[in-house]
Amino acid sequence: MSSAREDSRPAPGRSWRDIRQEVSAPALSRRGRRRRLFGWLKFGTLAALAVAATWGAVLLVHEWRADRAALATATHDAPVKNILVITDGVLTRDWVAGVLNLPAGTNMMAVVLPALRDRLLEHGQVSFAAVTRSFPSTLVVTLKERTPVARVQASAGLGAAEQLLVARDGVVYRGAHYEAKLLASLPWLDGIRLVRTGNGFQPIAGMEDVAALLTTAQLQAPHLYRQWHVVSLAGLADQDEIVVRSQDVPEIIFSRKRDWFKQIAQLDYIIDRALLLPEPGLKSVNLALEGQVPVQLLHPPAELAHAANPSFSLQPSQPRVQSDL
Amino acid sequence: MISNHSRTIAAVEIGTGKIAVLIGEISRGRSLNIIGVGVAPARGVMKGEVVDYKAACEATHQALEIAEKRAGTRIGEVWLAQSGGHLDGFYNEASVNVKSADNTVTALDIASVCALAKEKELPAGRSRIHEIRRPFHLDGRAVPDPEHLSGRRLEVGYWIVHGPESKVSDNIHVVGGYHLEVRELVLASLASGSLLTTAEERTQGVLVIDIGKGVTDYVLYRDGHVLVTGTLPVAGEHVTNDLSIGLRVTTAQAEMLKLRQARGTVQTRDKADKVWLNGDASFGDRQFSKVSIETITAARMLELFEVVRRKLGAAFEPEHCGAGVILTGGTSRMPGIEEAASRVFGLPARRGESPGWVKEELKDPMFSTVLGVFQFGLRGAHEHALPARRKPGLLGSLTRIFATS
Repeated sequence: MSSAREDSRPAPGRSWRDIRQEVSAPALSRRGRRRRLFGWLKFGTLAALAVAATWGAVLLVHEWRADRAALATATHDAPVKNILVITDGVLTRDWVAGVLNLPAGTNMMAVVLPALRDRLLEHGQVSFAAVTRSFPSTLVVTLKERTPVARVQASAGLGAAEQLLVARDGVVYRGAHYEAKLLASLPWLDGIRLVRTGNGFQPIAGMEDVAALLTTAQLQAPHLYRQWHVVSLAGLADQDEIVVRSQDVPEIIFSRKRDWFKQIAQLDYIIDRALLLPEPGLKSVNLALEGQVPVQLLHPPAELAHAANPSFSLQPSQPRVQSDL
Repeated sequence: MISNHSRTIAAVEIGTGKIAVLIGEISRGRSLNIIGVGVAPARGVMKGEVVDYKAACEATHQALEIAEKRAGTRIGEVWLAQSGGHLDGFYNEASVNVKSADNTVTALDIASVCALAKEKELPAGRSRIHEIRRPFHLDGRAVPDPEHLSGRRLEVGYWIVHGPESKVSDNIHVVGGYHLEVRELVLASLASGSLLTTAEERTQGVLVIDIGKGVTDYVLYRDGHVLVTGTLPVAGEHVTNDLSIGLRVTTAQAEMLKLRQARGTVQTRDKADKVWLNGDASFGDRQFSKVSIETITAARMLELFEVVRRKLGAAFEPEHCGAGVILTGGTSRMPGIEEAASRVFGLPARRGESPGWVKEELKDPMFSTVLGVFQFGLRGAHEHALPARRKPGLLGSLTRIFATS
């Protein structure tokens, strides 16, 4: 447009734009002074921020130039000096250190935490593991351990038999750092077949029921539990029966269909009653039947000796039946 | 003048009756969003001229502060409407012979003729406000852009508006007292005219009269260009004075009567038809004949329009004013004023209506000028060719940081 060109030439004489717009301080109104002050404050704040930012940048550059190594090393971490183990079981810091097997001088940030956790979980005794860094130089290992409820004898190829432990969830593992007394008190498992998977074994089915029976016995009738040597699971899958061989009674048959506490109470009663016999000794007690408990005596009384299969049925809940003995 | 970044601009009108401030956010140089309004009763201003600096500052700054609070932002710059009886205008034209051998008009020819037309010296102590170009004439025919056209003689004329530097600077300093800079000065009549007329009406010819309290501004358009602008120191205040003297009442009572009963033409026929002064039957309340009131106000309005017509002189030709007369300003709300204007100018007259983009609450005639300032600044600046701005130096930029903060 030509108008743009025509306007580009200044007109002669004074324009209103030549009028000086700044007013002297006394001519500023109260509002104007406040506005000017706000403007100065804003400018001052911006200027101070700019100066601070510039000064910070200068300091950083100076630091970087003067001690570049220090800045570089500041990003490196310290080596792992300590392993802190938090567990609800018996495993020790040395055991954990042995499993983790960290090379000496490994830096904190070089540690691969998921890999360490997997190493710990390879051991059946560990049910849960968490590995965290606690700077500057500590690894914190938090563990949850399985509790053994029974033990099992496993044949390791041509070598000697190996004692393994079985947890409530059926996991079979090599126990570490358990007291020998505790291990000796655990009954042996029988009637099972261990199947290898990788470095371990497949979990044993039905151990939840076995654990419930053993725990109930341990808590409610420890004197009976102490006599139990072998727990057979041979009939568990087919007949829902757990057979216990104890020091006093060669065969005690439990049923997982019945209440464990009731069965143990009946067993306790029967054993107590059997002690009253002239020749005490029980050969078999079958608690798997509802309503009656067939008992086989080692030395049946003479009046029963003529029976082809001498056995007695006890109903401890009914005193009248006790007289049958 | 127009840039791409967003700016917060205040359009300010320092009137005789009120100070009006609109804050607009202008983005991408064209899009306007009104975000704040501030109005305060004027003090220290008579007939558009500042007569009491402190009072005028107090009122203006109050309006600016109200507008800033409502907008929730701080004003960056001010576009100031300029009015008052101190403003004057003259027409100056120049012609050049086209220089090229083949008679083709070049940019140099255009620049030369424009410079010559604007070259007229002003009386001492006066400053240019606007230089408004009229159409080019090439060998007698009107052309909007003569470049590359063939002809022998190129002519152009400028309507130059100017005012005494001291009075113009008074208005600027009132804004400066709020620690703000005036970036544009827009003639009030051009602002109102820019808002209330369409391009088609300006081509047909239209007269816009803005009747305020102390000053009446007018602008006459023809062939799409501004032909004449002017300002009269006669307006609504004089109607009030007439009533005060004629009816022997105080100015406040006369103002009240004017707002209630004034008319641009006498409509009441029954001389017994009377109105109460206060209307509350209190002690001292009086009755006045409606015919008397209307006779006084109609006489003043007719006289006002006749003065405008006289000032327009030969420039006003009813046959070249097809779009009629448009009235605006606070006094234009007076009933019957269109009939009075129509009678004087012999043309249809109507009250100006703001365009559709104006919000309902801003459609009051009192905002016509400030809205028009935005309109003129955004749309009409190039049409009317405001003087070129000086580029600010480094010191100027630093000063602006303080001023816009």
